[in-house]
Formats: sequence, structure tokens, C-alpha cells
Amino acid sequence: MNTVTAKNPPRNRPEVSDVIGTAILGVVGAVAAVMGIGYGLSVDSGEVGPGLLPFLTGTFIFLASVAEIFRLFFARVGTSGGRIMSAVEDIEATAAESIDSASEAVSASGDDVDTFGRTEKQRNRAPFVIFATFGIALALVPVLGLIIALSLAILFLLIVVEKQKWWTSAAATIGAAVFVYIVFGLVLSVPMPTGMLGLI
Amino acid sequence: MIDNLMLGLETAVSPENLLWCFVGVLLGTVIGLLPGLGSTTGVAILLPVTLTFDPVTALIMLAGIYYGSQYGSSISSILISTPGDSSSVVLTIDGYQMARKGRAGAALAISALASFFAAIVSLIGLIALAQPIARFALNFGPAENLAIILLGMATIVSFAGENILRGITMAAAGLLVSMVGVASGFSTARFTFGSVNLLSGLDFVAVMIGIFAVGEVLHQIRRGGEKPIRAGFRDLLVTKEELRRAFPSTVRGTGLGFTVGVLPGAGATLATFLAYGVEKQVSRFRQFIGKGAPEAVAAPEAANNAAANASFIPTLALGIPGSGTTAVLLGAFIIFGLQPGPLLFQQEPDLVWGLLVSFFFGNLILLVLNLPMAPVFAQILRIPYVYLYPIVLMMSFIGAFALGNNMFTLWIVFFSGLLGYFMKRFDFPAAPFVLGLVLGPLLEKYLVQTSALGNGSLLIMFQQPLSLILTLAALVALAYPLIAAVIRNLRTRRADAKQRETVTH
Repeated sequence: MNTVTAKNPPRNRPEVSDVIGTAILGVVGAVAAVMGIGYGLSVDSGEVGPGLLPFLTGTFIFLASVAEIFRLFFARVGTSGGRIMSAVEDIEATAAESIDSASEAVSASGDDVDTFGRTEKQRNRAPFVIFATFGIALALVPVLGLIIALSLAILFLLIVVEKQKWWTSAAATIGAAVFVYIVFGLVLSVPMPTGMLGLI
Repeated sequence: MIDNLMLGLETAVSPENLLWCFVGVLLGTVIGLLPGLGSTTGVAILLPVTLTFDPVTALIMLAGIYYGSQYGSSISSILISTPGDSSSVVLTIDGYQMARKGRAGAALAISALASFFAAIVSLIGLIALAQPIARFALNFGPAENLAIILLGMATIVSFAGENILRGITMAAAGLLVSMVGVASGFSTARFTFGSVNLLSGLDFVAVMIGIFAVGEVLHQIRRGGEKPIRAGFRDLLVTKEELRRAFPSTVRGTGLGFTVGVLPGAGATLATFLAYGVEKQVSRFRQFIGKGAPEAVAAPEAANNAAANASFIPTLALGIPGSGTTAVLLGAFIIFGLQPGPLLFQQEPDLVWGLLVSFFFGNLILLVLNLPMAPVFAQILRIPYVYLYPIVLMMSFIGAFALGNNMFTLWIVFFSGLLGYFMKRFDFPAAPFVLGLVLGPLLEKYLVQTSALGNGSLLIMFQQPLSLILTLAALVALAYPLIAAVIRNLRTRRADAKQRETVTH
């Protein structure tokens, strides 16, 4: 019997992220479909109502997500063969290999760190630290003003997260702030929020 | 036609338009070659900067960024095997191999020449086809327009790769996001959850800045920054032999790119992969492909540029964007109070023809800039990304604020950025999402109009010959890949069962 299992094309082993992402889409679709019914599928004259398109789209997303989850778990590997798109996917894979091999050639010269000097763990965390920094900066706009809040975010990222020298970081931040102030504030006359500080 | 071209020439050669065309293609090249910043990101970030320009000048500059970045993204693919944009991913195979063999200069030159050839040929195609299609589309009523949008969305599915369901689901998700706010033609607020800010809907340019600029840049940070240039620049000049080998591939790539680019949703990236695949099959030197063959640089590059120009045909003539970047450009048209579509050619001839003629000058500038200066541009890759990305993010937020002049727009960018990052990280395609987002309001408008025409019945779509053909085509385009996938799966299962039987017997 072992031979039999070995000869079977393996089933896709779905990535957890694929399943979670698709499930989230499915839930969003279901909620949208229910809300669509609430908005009214048709108006009194029998014509399309404000809820029809949300209902149809939501239902479609829900059904497609269910089908996608089914596919993730039950489709056999290699079922996409014999199509034009599968040739495209092969080339895509070759390109990905080429990109990866070039990266490996570079990382082989150092340790397991990238050109930012980050390990893989730090690399996974970095986008969230940056997101959080900009989130806090946006929350501070009513106090500091838009340009100052974002400039402080840049300065923080350069000095604390990227560990750059303070004077180059300060120069880059001031340069960026002056540039956006000239382009958006002076040339485009965009009324930038100056916050409670009321500076720029 | 000649009158229109003369009108376009008059507009395009004004010193102001030429200057901004130059700035656009230059910025496009720089943006394109920076990893993590593609044409869509470039146009999205710089759109707010053009707000005070004349619409035609702004669009000339933004279009310049689009095709300029096609040239730029090839530079980083060839030199450091890191594509500046998805449309130059395939160049990381043979382009990079050529560079590793000391033929970086030749690869860059072939890429620039193939791009220029394709751009000019496809521009002629664009000029020849866009107006007749627009004129034909003037006969379209709501039912035909609805069918053509459905057909546009269905082609996304056909070209979604292995993951057909995911592609179409993302398009539907974009459609859903476009429905936030008070629906046009109704007074009902949808998906606003009591927020006053959401009543007017989500500014789709802000969503795009979030997804393409913030999301992509952060994804690049997670990927680990760009690699140093390892390519040699000895033998900067391309040889006659290389040019002779590259020419037929350039012609094939141009034809293929143009054909694929015309289809909404298919886009330049697919065109480049198909062109590479065709070369692997038909080129006389196919045994060298994958090892640094000029054919495999010329064909995808030509396809890329031809597709980029061709994607303007559905955008300008029908108002249906052919790619992610033309979707953002469509947003620019709307910001300037213009509605791309059949009427645009009648109402704004100087703008349309000025824009099209500017493509010629833009590509000429790009060729002159790129042939001798590609290695100089490449030095930009030496700017540490750690200094670049915070500034790009700052520009994205401030640019988005300039669009809406309110804090809420900034939060849209922030959360769309988070969404874009996860989409990129976990391979949920952004292009169908954005096409759904852009086409949503139009789709609903034509749906409501068609329903009103049919007194509540949508069967009217099957009553006129033209709308019948378009609707059936949309249904076939939508159903075929799904049914084919199911059939393939069933066949595999049947083959499994047969195999099992043979083994047990």
C-alpha cells in the first residue's frame, strides 16, 4: 500500500496565511451580502436597489472564498499543467530562482544579515515598527502639525530603527522636511495642518 | 487623423509640456530603477504634485513617469537581479546573466533600443486604434457599457495565473470597497458604520498610494534591501551580432505585448512572461536562453513597452484601465474633472492627441538618456535604501493629504498601506483589487441605468446584438478558466484512480 500512496500526486499543503486570508475575505463577503440585503435589493419600481451590487459582490466573495479554501485543501499539485498560464508560471519560478540566487550570493559574503544589517527576525519585525511609528506620528499631527510629526517619525526611524549617524539622519530629515514644505506648502499651497504648535 | 496629430503636436511641443515630459520620464526612470518603487507607485506618489498643472501637462508628466519607469526598472533587473517593477521580473534571468558575463552595457543598450522600437510601433497602433474604438463605443448604451466592464473584469480572471479564484475574489473585494459611501443615484449610505468621513466614500487614489507606495516599500524592507551592483561595465557597446539577434525578438515581443496590453487586466507583466516563453520556443538561439541571450532581453522589454502603450487603448477609448498604473492614471483624469471614455476624444481632442504625441517625445528622450547614461542612472542604486524609504513614505502621506486636504485621507493611506503590505506578503494580487476599485462606481452606474431601461429586468442585456455578444463573451471569459480548472482537477483525480488500480492489481 505504501507504493500506492507514493505514486499519488500529493495534495496541496495549504499555507496557514492563505487559509486565514481567504477566510477573512469570506467573512467580509458574507457580512457585505447580509448588509446588502439590509440596504434593499430593489427599489419600489422593481429596479436595482442600493443593496443589490453589495449583495451580489458579497455573495460572490463568500462563495469564491469557500471554493478557494476547498481548492487549497483538496486540489492536487500539478493540476494547472498544460495551459498557457502554467508556462508563464514556470518562467516566473525561474526568475524567482535567479533573484534568490543573486541574493544568496550576496548574503553568503556576510552572515545571515541583509543589506540593512538585519537578521531575518528583525526583518519580519521592521515593517511593523515602521507602521507603528507612522501611526503614532499621524496621531500626533493635531498637536505637532503634519510636517513636524512626519519629520520626527523619519528622524526616529533613521536614528533608532536604522541606527544611522545622528547628523546624517538630521540632515536627511531636515532636507526632506524643507523639500515637502517647498513643494506642497509653498508651490502647491496645500493648507498643511500646523497643529497646536502652529509652526509649519 | 493628420489634423488630430497636428493638434497633438502643437500641444506636445509647447516648452512647458516638453519640460514636464522630460521631468516625468527622468523621474520615471529613477523611480523605476529603485527596487520597491514601480510605475504605479511613482504615478500615485507624484499625482498630488501635478494638482496645480494644466490637465494636459499633468497627464503628460504622469504618463512620462509610467513609461519612463519601464526603462528604469530594467536597469535594476539587469544589474542587480532585483526588478524595479513586476514587468521587468523576467529580465532578471537573461539580463542579469549578460551582466554577470561583463555584457551589462550591451544588455542595457538592447533593453533601451527594444523598448524604444516597441514604444514607437505600439504608439502608432495606439493612435490608429484608439479613436476608431472610441467612435464605435459612442454607440454603446448602458447595457453595452455594463457588458464591456464585466468583460474587462472577466479578462482579469483569465490571466490570474494558477490562482484564478484569488484573482477574481480580489477584484470583487475592490468592487466592494468602491461601494463605501452614499451610492450614486441613491440616498442610502453603505458600509459607513456611522462615520461621517466615509459618506463620500474612500478616495481611491489614497487607497492606491497606501497599497502601492506604503505597502510595496514596506514589503521591500522586509525583503531586505537592494543588493550591491556586481555587474561589470566593460564592453559598453552592443555588438552588431547582438543587435542582429535581438531584432526579430523585438518585433515578436512588440506584437505580442501590444495584443496582450490591449486586454484590460492582462497587463505588461504577463506580456513579458509570454514573450520570454515564445522566444524559448521559436528563437533560432533558444538553446542560449536562460544563459544570457540578447533575444531574451529584447523580447520581454519590447513586450513590456508595447503592452504599456496598448493599455492606454481601453483606458482612453472605453474608460476601462488596462493595468494597475493606467487605473491610477484614470484616477488622475477624474481628479482633473475628465472622464476617460468615448466622449473624451470629442470633448478634449487637444488633451488626448497632445498626450499621445508626447509619448513619442518622451520615448525619444528616454532613448537619448538611457543609451549613454544607463550606467550613470545605476549609481542611484548606491543611495542607501535606509535614507530613501522614510522619505518616500513621508512623500506618500503628504501627497495624499494634498489630494483630500483632510486628516481622514492620511488614515486611509495608513490602513491601505497595512492592507497592501499583507497583500504583497501573502501573494494576494493588488492589480485586480485596484481595477475592481476603479471600475466599481461605473459598473454600478451602468447596472442601475440598464435596470431602469429594462424596467427592472437585466435581460435587456441579451436583447441587443452587441450587448448580447459582449455579455456572452464576458460570461465565457469568466466561466472558462474556472470550468477548465475543475476539469483538470477531475482528470488528475481520474488518473490517480487509474494509477491506483494498476498498482493494486
